Amino acid sequence: MMTDEPVAETPSPDQAAATTPAAEPGIEERAVTVTEWMADRGIFIFTALLILAAAVFIDGFASLTNITDVFNRAAPIGIVAVGMTFVVISANYLDLSVVAQVATSAVVLIAVSNEYGFVLAILAAIVIALVYGFVNGVAVGVFKANAVIVTLSTTFIGLGLLRWVSGGSIYFGPPDGPVRVFGSTRLGPIPLSMIVLVAMTLLLSFVLNRTTFGFLVKAYGSNREATRLTGANTAMVVIGAFVITALAAMVGGFVLAAFSNTAVSSMSTGFDFRALAAIIVGGTSVFGGRGSVMRTLLGVVFVSVLTNIMVLSGLGFGMQQMAIGLLIVAAVSVDALARKAGTS
Amino acid sequence: MSEQPTVASDAGVGTRPVVDARNISKAFGGVQAVDDVSLAVVPGEIHAVVGENGAGKSTLMRTLSGIIAPDSGQVLVDGVALQPGDTRAALAAGISLVHQELSLVPEMTVAENIVLGSTPTNGGFIDRREQRRIAAEALEEIGVTVDLDELISRLSMALRQFVEIARAVARKPRVLILDEPTATLTPAETDYLLDMLQRLADRGLAILYISHRIPEIFRIGDRITVLRDGQHVDTVDVADTDPDAVVRMMVGRELEATLGEHREADPGEVIVSAKGIRAPGVNGIDLEVRAGEIVGLGGLVGAGRTELVRAILGADPRTDGEVTLTYDGVTHRINSYGAAIRAGFGYIPEERRTDGLALTMSVTDNITLPNRRHLSRGTILERARIKRFAAQLADVVGLRPPDVSREVGQFSGGNQQKVVLAKWLGREPVAIVLDEPTRGVDVGAKAEIHRLVRELADDGKAVLVVSSDLPELLELSDTIHVVRDGRIMGTLDRAEANEAAVMALASGQTAGTSAGSDTTSEVDA
Repeated sequence: MMTDEPVAETPSPDQAAATTPAAEPGIEERAVTVTEWMADRGIFIFTALLILAAAVFIDGFASLTNITDVFNRAAPIGIVAVGMTFVVISANYLDLSVVAQVATSAVVLIAVSNEYGFVLAILAAIVIALVYGFVNGVAVGVFKANAVIVTLSTTFIGLGLLRWVSGGSIYFGPPDGPVRVFGSTRLGPIPLSMIVLVAMTLLLSFVLNRTTFGFLVKAYGSNREATRLTGANTAMVVIGAFVITALAAMVGGFVLAAFSNTAVSSMSTGFDFRALAAIIVGGTSVFGGRGSVMRTLLGVVFVSVLTNIMVLSGLGFGMQQMAIGLLIVAAVSVDALARKAGTS
Repeated sequence: MSEQPTVASDAGVGTRPVVDARNISKAFGGVQAVDDVSLAVVPGEIHAVVGENGAGKSTLMRTLSGIIAPDSGQVLVDGVALQPGDTRAALAAGISLVHQELSLVPEMTVAENIVLGSTPTNGGFIDRREQRRIAAEALEEIGVTVDLDELISRLSMALRQFVEIARAVARKPRVLILDEPTATLTPAETDYLLDMLQRLADRGLAILYISHRIPEIFRIGDRITVLRDGQHVDTVDVADTDPDAVVRMMVGRELEATLGEHREADPGEVIVSAKGIRAPGVNGIDLEVRAGEIVGLGGLVGAGRTELVRAILGADPRTDGEVTLTYDGVTHRINSYGAAIRAGFGYIPEERRTDGLALTMSVTDNITLPNRRHLSRGTILERARIKRFAAQLADVVGLRPPDVSREVGQFSGGNQQKVVLAKWLGREPVAIVLDEPTRGVDVGAKAEIHRLVRELADDGKAVLVVSSDLPELLELSDTIHVVRDGRIMGTLDRAEANEAAVMALASGQTAGTSAGSDTTSEVDA
């Protein structure tokens, strides 16, 4: 990789030796290779290095309590991110309304089970998730509206509705209720939330890689017109991607509520961009067509460890927020550069 | 320095090269696209660069114009080395590239597009008067009349191509590079373009002309450089060679006769029936395609042929008309595109990169796309079967290299088109519609695609072909409908079809008028 292929047999010493310009393309060629490589494989190395560095330099990182805590906190966002990967791969940027979806799901789980029981709460949450998925999916997939603007709007509608109905109050679950039990159960050292994250990742990874639906999501993200012209119902592909995101956001809301056994409409602030950061850092392309659910899980680990390092180093929330923003800008830039290199 | 090219000096052809590309090499991810190629062009010369798709022509031209930087080698303009990979430097030195894929902004006017990139300003504001002056001058120089304030999106493909050339000429280039400029043009428009280039060369402009179309090259070229697999095969004077020799150099082997292979058609029952088709650009068309028959649709670009086939398939909505697909004693009414595909239509669209292929996906994935139901159990894709299925189809269409796990975008145009065919062959369609099946495809791949199309018909499929390539249309079709203004102007069977007959119908019996008036009349088409 370091040196280019030897110059062809025809000897032309005067030209081969003389020119400085001839040297520069070689550098550019290598730089391009590095960006492509970074977009493709970088996350594996960066995650490993980050964990290694943290273990060596950060006091308290490599303890079992800290690691379980990292995953416990990472689980809700991670679950949202693995679901939202479908929207990103379908080349519809992201689903901002996961913020509203997670909060709604959490509040419904606790508030409705307090009044009407656990089963009804889950049914209500499922219905709400389906409504979110269909509204977003129909607007984007059928009416071809821009996903960012649609989901920004449904965030407003959803959060507005939630605040109006809940009055902004905090809901507490009973100390012995199923939510509490779920939130505090561990298998050995492993919290249930982490198992849910891994299970969701495996399930959605299977859906994306092995089913015709997942295949169509990728194909649609790569070229929607070519996909339509093979006879696929592309509107259903987009609706499906948003429904999967909504169902994952619902599960993420459950796990988030169970973590503290409380729910409030403002508890999921920032989930949209944190999930997006994990997806993009994992190497899924915002141009659609490329990416995987497994990569998103890796991205979740990276973002969570990074956040944890900052917390342990005493850096405040403001710094963490800045870091996430910088991370997204860096990741989308690498993504765009790699795409440019790949198509030239 | 020893290999300084010398040129038999015709009238007006100088001997000192204006552009001298030396030992250019460029690889893309392990594929050596251009391998130690040198090329010199002198003022007043029309220098043709030929080669099959993937031979490295476009890469070489993109290197000359600074779009990509070579891995090694350099480009000299008047003896001065250009900064590699710098389009501005190349432009400033006088190298102007007319793009293969049109790069005009559709929602801007002709004048705005011609000056785009060097828009004249006056105190920071756009100088509209100067803009119009530059545009008018460039258009006059190439001899094309078009309204300066018309939006590009409202122009025919031919006029867009001419505006693109005017844009290059407006920069007062020393060298004009044209990459397949006639791919979307009709014969009359092509004539016009070739005359235009001849005039520009006579005024001392050096022209690098890339084309698959050998007759064009022999008509206007002074010298021909042949590339094959990224390597320089030879540079010859047109006067010293002949078309057969050039084709042999391009493919590196003798081609079996590509023309005139007569297929004995034995049409059976009517399979495709379209009645009273109306859609934007289509004004009431009836047509039928029988089993084992190849029906060709001829006509000028913009005549409504693509609109017609898309309306038949339901790919774009039709305002009126009825389409049925009949086989095995069952008649399927086609009311939507989904219904067309389910009933057994296959569609190879005009624009393979935007409509035909998911370029970032593998060949296997692209082949799987229309065959996903067949290749899955329930909703779960069966990977082992998919692998076999794709490899088998790649073999049928002769994909090269036959590596189905590679991204489609990495293949040459001809091989990409084979993948589009393979996608649909996998479905064993009853009727197949091909729109410009060999546009931008090299000679070898073209012959293979023609063979596949004939085999489909021999297999009893109904085949409908749209082609602006007259020899291709005549070679393939059993029946030719000539379309003009969204109507069928005439139908020719194999015995009566020839280029003159098709063109006479296509141009509405006004084939004799000049190409200039012909093309300008298409402004409002």
